[in-house]
Amino acid sequence: MEQIVANGLYLGAQYALIALGLTLIFGLMNVLNFAHGQMYVLGGFITYAVYGQLGLPFVLAILASGTTLFVIGGLMERYLFRTVIKRSHREESTMLLAAATAFFFDAVILLVFGEKQRGVPKIVKGVFNDFGIILPYDRLLVGLLAAISIISFILLMKYSKPGRAMRALAQDRVAAQLMGVEVERFTMLGFALGAMLAGITGGLLVTITGVNAGIGGPISIKAFTMIMIGGAGVVGGAIAGGFILGMMESIGLTILREYGDVTYLVIFASLMVFLSIRPNGLMGKPWG
Amino acid sequence: MAYILEVKALTKRFGGLNAVNNVSFGVNEREILSVIGPNGAGKSTLFKLISSFLIPTSGEVTFKGERISNLAPHIAARMGVVRTFQETTIFRNMTVRDNIIIAHHLRSKASLLGYFFGTRIAKQDEAGFGVSADEILDFLGLSPIAGEVAKNLPHGHLRALGIAIGLATRPTVLLLDEPFAGMNHDETMKAVAMVRSLRDRGLTVLLVEHDMPAVMKISDRIVVLNFGEKIAEGSPTEIQNNPRVIEAYLGVEDEEIGL
Amino acid sequence: MSKKTRTLAVSLFLLAVFVLVPALIGTTGRKDFYYTLTSVALLSIASAGVWLTFFIGRINIGQGAYALMGGYVSAVLVMTYGLSFWWTLPIAGIFCAIASVIIGLPILRLRGVYFAMVTLVLTEVTRLLALALPITSGAKGITSIPLPGALSLFGVTLIPDFATMENPRIAFYYVAAALMTLCFAGLYRLVNSRIGHICMSLQQNEELASSIGVNIAYLRVIAYAISSFLGGISGAVFVAATQSVYPSSFTVTDSVNFMLNCFLGGLGYVFGPMLGTLVLYFGWNLLFETGKFQLLIYSSLMIILMLLLPNGILSLRSLWKKV
Repeated sequence: MEQIVANGLYLGAQYALIALGLTLIFGLMNVLNFAHGQMYVLGGFITYAVYGQLGLPFVLAILASGTTLFVIGGLMERYLFRTVIKRSHREESTMLLAAATAFFFDAVILLVFGEKQRGVPKIVKGVFNDFGIILPYDRLLVGLLAAISIISFILLMKYSKPGRAMRALAQDRVAAQLMGVEVERFTMLGFALGAMLAGITGGLLVTITGVNAGIGGPISIKAFTMIMIGGAGVVGGAIAGGFILGMMESIGLTILREYGDVTYLVIFASLMVFLSIRPNGLMGKPWG
Repeated sequence: MAYILEVKALTKRFGGLNAVNNVSFGVNEREILSVIGPNGAGKSTLFKLISSFLIPTSGEVTFKGERISNLAPHIAARMGVVRTFQETTIFRNMTVRDNIIIAHHLRSKASLLGYFFGTRIAKQDEAGFGVSADEILDFLGLSPIAGEVAKNLPHGHLRALGIAIGLATRPTVLLLDEPFAGMNHDETMKAVAMVRSLRDRGLTVLLVEHDMPAVMKISDRIVVLNFGEKIAEGSPTEIQNNPRVIEAYLGVEDEEIGL
Repeated sequence: MSKKTRTLAVSLFLLAVFVLVPALIGTTGRKDFYYTLTSVALLSIASAGVWLTFFIGRINIGQGAYALMGGYVSAVLVMTYGLSFWWTLPIAGIFCAIASVIIGLPILRLRGVYFAMVTLVLTEVTRLLALALPITSGAKGITSIPLPGALSLFGVTLIPDFATMENPRIAFYYVAAALMTLCFAGLYRLVNSRIGHICMSLQQNEELASSIGVNIAYLRVIAYAISSFLGGISGAVFVAATQSVYPSSFTVTDSVNFMLNCFLGGLGYVFGPMLGTLVLYFGWNLLFETGKFQLLIYSSLMIILMLLLPNGILSLRSLWKKV
């Protein structure tokens, strides 16, 4: 029992981090970042390259992943999304762009890194074995790092000037503009941050589950599921969604192991029922 | 004589706030009744409750004795209680005339399938709608701009179009949402005459307004809301002299109250 | 357009699809194009369904679910119950329509991205169901499905048994093209009729539509049902053409592609999905020659296209009009 909870928590922390990035982008721009999963994969591969192949310190690798994705995210917003949003008649047009970028990332990742599954040596050896819980130390560390990142993110959004600017933008774009918030700069920052979070999570998780070019799509779907559960555009929702999915996966994989894929079938079915009762997820802001 | 529309102990709660609190009043047939009150008094919420766009927390609204609250908004519309919109929502890319024709949807006899296949009933409907639309255009003085695309219209015409759309549904009770907002004196006078002529067509009109001189001029009776509660009800003269009403509007220019 | 121009355009289109294309393929000997164009026709039908959901203001990324459903219904009916393919076609469509009503009732009131995300999940759910249910034979799918038999009406053979044909591909092409034509003809009529105007009113302002007596929930369900019907039919014909169906026959990628076809063609135009499917599918196939760079070039071109024409290819039309 405690094992399930422990697994759920550690998974949940990772997932929450991914979901946070996605919800930030959505909250700021009403854009569903289809490429989020691919950003995660890219982050994982960068960490693999820096830490696994070049043998540089792990922290440096994570930094590299984060920074690269930050820059990529910023550039994407500035040169791609901003143009399309300005010129399209319908808000949903950005979906085509988002999907195209996802394909693009998939293509690049496949070309540069190949299709093999990649892993890296453990960052910390040993296993924590107490209180009926068996948790390898590296998972513990990664879970802790994820939790720290989440907390730093929340603090950043709540108390720093850029954080407050972005929250204002997400709440009411026009009002924020009138109060002098530079919309363009902070939208770009938001997207960059969202991408960075995905990249960091990828970097963290490559040490445990490895990474390969094909998991981008499924990760995106997982991220969307979390947002659906917790509600889009709200920090609390992303965290809640992440932890709930983590828990459900942990429970499902342990209990329903014999039935294989049924775990996700159950998760999705319950999700649809849940959404009919609470259309905006647990805490989401309504669309439009 | 029985009320054609009756609001009974209507309450609507949002979170911890009673936007509308235990409001009751009746509207007589072919009467023009105005609901007034300071900003935030709950007028919009009341409107939405009456036209069934919101579900009351408690209480009910009846029309010709039958309950219409708690029904889907399009059903209330079909029963004959139709509202116009404050934010002048229209079908932006269609002409004025087409806007009005579409609004006749309510009175169409053909089924959706009939429209798809262009059956005889559907064609008859369309012809009839055209005639009716022209009549409404004429009545509201919109004939000159019948072919204009709706999004290009100035505010005054948009407002009239909103009313035209409402009229197309052949309502029994028409709820006008701030019909005189943003108008100068001349425009207001014309609009007042127009609303009066609506009554001549047999409609009952319930309106929400801020423009006091217009309200005083046009209303048969007035209901005053403040903080979600009804604080007064009566003829324009009675309302003007009601101390509670004056107190509610304290801090507002005398001219606004029309004294 | 004036009636004359319209008749001309329609005639040209029919001529091109039913006469010119087969003639061209015959002379150039590129018989593989039959399969490609059949696919384009079928995929455009599914995309047309997605377009219709856009028309009532919803983003539908779940059409793959109904294509898969329709495919399986047809396959099971043919293999297990020995039904003629031609019967299974409408049955598959209606099955999907009914399923979509049941699914749609709770989810259609969701808006924007929420609805989109739920539909995305829907495709996955259908795939998982196909894996899990006994009737669909799990991961190995249903294979060796016989070609469609003859279609005869009142003793008159309209379409001969596919097994007797020298090249059934041609027959499939004609069937697909005919269905596509019917589908878009119906869509065009729908959009330009009163129903179309009401649906547009739904897009613009749901409250106003309610106040003129439009039963929004009902209209949405109907539109979604028609959309899913189209998805089901498309899937059924596909399965007949490939003579097999697997849980992975239609995936999330396909659902996304249907949506992309609509966007690329232009959401504001009835024929957008047709053009979008043609461009995207043909484009992808043509790029096959580039080998491992296929996806890269494809997605780069898509991005560039998006930047230049964010409102879809057919938005060039309104630019042209201004000139």
